[in-house]
Amino acid sequence: MSMTLDRRVRQIRSRAVIRAWEYRQRDHARGVWYRLRRVLADAREAWAISARDAAALLDEGLEAEPVGGELEPARTILFVPAERLARIPGRVAVPLRLGQELLGVECLALVRFGDPGSVPGWGEP
Amino acid sequence: MVVGSEVPNLLEPGAAATLVVSQDVDLAVPVERHAEVKGLLPRIQGLRRADEEPSVWVPEGRSLIEVNFVGVDRAIVDPADTYALEDPELPLLVFGPLSLLEPGTPVEVGPLRVPVPRIAGLVLEKLLTDRTGEKGDRDLLVVAGLIPFLADADLDELRHGFGRLSPELRHAVRSGLTVLSLLGGRPGMPDPRPLRGRVAALLDALGAEGP
Repeated sequence: MSMTLDRRVRQIRSRAVIRAWEYRQRDHARGVWYRLRRVLADAREAWAISARDAAALLDEGLEAEPVGGELEPARTILFVPAERLARIPGRVAVPLRLGQELLGVECLALVRFGDPGSVPGWGEP
Repeated sequence: MVVGSEVPNLLEPGAAATLVVSQDVDLAVPVERHAEVKGLLPRIQGLRRADEEPSVWVPEGRSLIEVNFVGVDRAIVDPADTYALEDPELPLLVFGPLSLLEPGTPVEVGPLRVPVPRIAGLVLEKLLTDRTGEKGDRDLLVVAGLIPFLADADLDELRHGFGRLSPELRHAVRSGLTVLSLLGGRPGMPDPRPLRGRVAALLDALGAEGP
């Protein structure tokens, strides 16, 4: 067999083994990154807010995403209606990328695709 | 059939090929037609077989890009299966996820009719192409290049194909989409950022997390 193809087949099979392992880990600690990405994928915007503002939003009945509590240190991540978020003056926009800027935020307010006035539906620009 | 990252370039109006997403062009060879394709190799002009890897043909000049022959085996049931078809002249990496591809409407480029796959299968194949690092990101950016071409019928087809995958591969598809959703833009490549709403809609269309 061609050495290059042989090596590629072995690499692909190795990755398949890793993928299977990651799939089995999906509900455990290792799966936290997928769960975090899955939450962030539904967000059109992300904002850093203060712990006090986050507490107020929770008091108003908004629910924190469980994945925030699975990180160490724990983060408060919650979806907030755009209209409510607009009334938080100290909010700071955070790019939706898995980097230090986002991961370093203690309290993260997300605006969901589909929030009134913001949502591009399928096929819309 | 042309597969891989050159397809979004071919799908651009007039096959304008403005996206810098590819460093080669992948040609999918059905394993049952391997002998036929091998017989045509002497007619190739401007490319020569690479010494170290006969499935790769490299350009002799600067106006062409590398060609990479890969195998498609429609008999593969599990897209995770991959094997090497041994042959001294044209060995092929028979890549399991390529079995998800169905022939689409050929793209006309001047006098050429270039066979390309249907978009839905190609999106699934790219999301299942489990690579890491730069190459993995580029595969996902190919998906970004395809998403604008997904019509409602393609979406239905994609959903159907997705439903036939194993739970593990369905998870891999969802996972790939979430990574795509958080990728930044790169010069000359399909920009995934304006497509985040569509990616979210696609994730929603694929349904809730299964077992």
